[in-house]
Amino acid sequence: MSSVIQAAALQKHFGKVRALDRLDLTVEQGEVHGYLGPNGAGKSTTMRILLGLARPTGGAVTVFGKDPWRNAPALHRRISSVPGEVALWPNLSGGGETIDLLVKLRGGDVKSADYINARAALIDEFQFDPSKKARSYSKGNRQKVALIAALARPAELYLLDEPTSGLDPLMEEVFTAHVDRIGAAGGTVLLSSHVLSEVEKVCGTVSIVRAGKVVESGTLAQLRHLTRTSISFDRDGLSESALARIPGAFDLAAGEGRVSFTVDADAVPSVLPALGALAVKGLQIAPPSLEDLFLRHYGDVLDPVGA
Amino acid sequence: MTSWTRSAPEMYGTLLRFRLRRDRIQLLVWALVLFLMMYAIVADVHTTFGSDVERANTLKLLMTTPAVLMLRGRPQGLSEGDFVTTTGLTFIAVLVGLMSTFLVVRHTRAEEERGQTETISATGAGRLTPTLTVVTMAVLANLMAVIVIVLACLAGGLPATGSWLLAASCGMVGLVFAGVAFLFAQIMPTSRSANAWSATLVIVSYFVRGVGDAAGAPHPATYTLTPAWPSWLSPIGWAQAALPFEPNRTWPLFVGAAVFLVLTAAALAIQDVRDVGDGVLAERSGRRGGSFALRGPFGLSARLQRGTLAAWIVSVVALAALLGGLSGVIVTQLSQAGPGVANAITEIGGARGTVIDAFANLGAIFSGLLAAAICVQGTMRLRQEEAAATADSVLATAVGRTRWMLSYLLVAAGGAVASLLLGGLVAGAAAGGKGGGFALWFGAIVWQIPGVLLFLGIVAAVFAVLPEATVAVGWIVYAASGFLGIFGSLVGLPGWAQKLSPLAHAPAVALPDPSYTGGWVMALVAVMLTAAAVLLFRTRDTKPVA
Repeated sequence: MSSVIQAAALQKHFGKVRALDRLDLTVEQGEVHGYLGPNGAGKSTTMRILLGLARPTGGAVTVFGKDPWRNAPALHRRISSVPGEVALWPNLSGGGETIDLLVKLRGGDVKSADYINARAALIDEFQFDPSKKARSYSKGNRQKVALIAALARPAELYLLDEPTSGLDPLMEEVFTAHVDRIGAAGGTVLLSSHVLSEVEKVCGTVSIVRAGKVVESGTLAQLRHLTRTSISFDRDGLSESALARIPGAFDLAAGEGRVSFTVDADAVPSVLPALGALAVKGLQIAPPSLEDLFLRHYGDVLDPVGA
Repeated sequence: MTSWTRSAPEMYGTLLRFRLRRDRIQLLVWALVLFLMMYAIVADVHTTFGSDVERANTLKLLMTTPAVLMLRGRPQGLSEGDFVTTTGLTFIAVLVGLMSTFLVVRHTRAEEERGQTETISATGAGRLTPTLTVVTMAVLANLMAVIVIVLACLAGGLPATGSWLLAASCGMVGLVFAGVAFLFAQIMPTSRSANAWSATLVIVSYFVRGVGDAAGAPHPATYTLTPAWPSWLSPIGWAQAALPFEPNRTWPLFVGAAVFLVLTAAALAIQDVRDVGDGVLAERSGRRGGSFALRGPFGLSARLQRGTLAAWIVSVVALAALLGGLSGVIVTQLSQAGPGVANAITEIGGARGTVIDAFANLGAIFSGLLAAAICVQGTMRLRQEEAAATADSVLATAVGRTRWMLSYLLVAAGGAVASLLLGGLVAGAAAGGKGGGFALWFGAIVWQIPGVLLFLGIVAAVFAVLPEATVAVGWIVYAASGFLGIFGSLVGLPGWAQKLSPLAHAPAVALPDPSYTGGWVMALVAVMLTAAAVLLFRTRDTKPVA
């Protein structure tokens, strides 16, 4: 059984610009896969290739084992997608006409009770007014049209390109709950984002893309191993030499108020006895966040001075 | 070092320069086109109708059957300048009018639709300044038009005073329609409808004064004609009333200028009280549920274009009815002229048939040109959907490239074919036995179909290969074909140039011994181009405008 999405050494050049530079990406059946990267890293280009809207310059890519360029319409019956820029027909109504149309074009039956109920529930949850013409929708409402159309009918694969852009935090929660539901039901999701907290919340596996290459890929647990856990406690008069005895501590910073350092993720248990011996107060242990991971890869971009 | 605060006039100047810069190529193209058209008309009158005798003969014939004047203009005297005005003024005035309406809508409603006005209005530019710069721009563009028209007339050796008045009356028509466009840009919620309404009024005003000229009272002794009352309803009729070269009347210019000021002031007054982004006519609320018709790509394409399509079909049918109806009038006028004159007129057709045959032939080509616009615009819609990324929304569903493309091509082709079939029926019925017969008109109009479909093939091929150029190339091909096919003979272009237009190859069914080869060849080429376009589109990325 091959992976749902498999890209090997995928290349896409626009003139001299290498939007994708030998990118490898694998998404297995049942994964909710985060596709993380800053603007311009190649996320949307990847999505467009997976949808057969753009043709790779080089490399191999399959979706459900098939070439997405050659088999676009057949594959799209099994795929729900939200584009990076939601474009609607200004003179069609958002709900009735646009959502139903997109579902019908994907091969769905808009007369079925399942669909009608799902649609009604989604419209309610997203607090969406379906009767207005698309021209009058705000960015958030346009996004809701695409989301409702994508979620109202079950699909085997969901390709979501920055799906929460323009949504308020409450609506983001609604969206997150739906991705959890899809994941629990065994659906496969590729969710691109530059919002780390969102990916951390819903995705089990993550690929980090940078300048057209995937630089890190794996489960959240695996990736967390790549960064250190940060530990801090109150200084409370502890001497420098006492602090120096903590094993495996990196980046130790001892101010007047708090002491903080980092340890490798698997070294946490071995540090705890030492902390116990020091009888530290106000202990805080923060697991590695995706943000740390992200900053590790983009630190030089985000902070060229080097922190 | 300039200060951080900029004065209102500075802001006005910045915006105006920004707009002129954005339009510099388009305005240059318009200047070139206007100059060449005007010069071609003057040069042709000079060579083909060089002497008073030749002009007098032609005018006599024209005035015996004023119905023919519909597509020309009002006879106003014998001089070369007068003759140029009769044959060329209305056509040039239409061009200047269209230049003005497109320019105004492009910088007002279209900008508002794209949200650019919102961005500009949020700066220190204020509510009215952006529109005021467009008013200035419309005046400047028409000034440019006046200057190039004068230059073309002077280059053709016409007297200076008359040349200036001819050019100024065209500029006056441009300004009036700029005012019309300003008003529609305020009223209509979309740039498409604002453009459609203003451009339609330009064409309608051409035909309204045509009816006035056709029904006018001829004065054979002076080679002049007093138009009937409909001409007074049309700004192009006012331009003709200036009678450049002979009496040289300037008062119509002031009428036009006043109308421009009133319309523009009304538009500004509306702009001052309405929300940015809204039209006076509000967008209707949409359906809550999906409609039955909107269930596939074809339903979508038809739904998106139904308004435009209906308007085009009505236009083609109305034109066909008008021309068919006029053919009866021509015959009546011929019979009233007495048998001698009637024979003389019938003979000028010579080998190319009677006056009625020639009129039906020209009417069919006109209908074809109008129907071709349906194909050009409908095919361009492919690019507009692609640019707006709505094509991606459909192509991301189970709809394949071929089906998506055909959904637009077949709707365009269907609209064009339907309009010509209906037009042929209506023209044939309106003409009746007296005006040439049903078969003559129906056949002549229906045989425009292959040439009309060739436009579809050409634009589709451009879309497949050079998507970014689709709209520009589409309209250029259309305008050039229209000019070469209809006015090519009028302005005396060489045969090979006229034959560049698909319209020139449509079987001239209304004339004796028509050749059908051109029709079949064009149909074949149209199908091949379209098939090639679909295959080529399947091999390229979609290119939305980010």
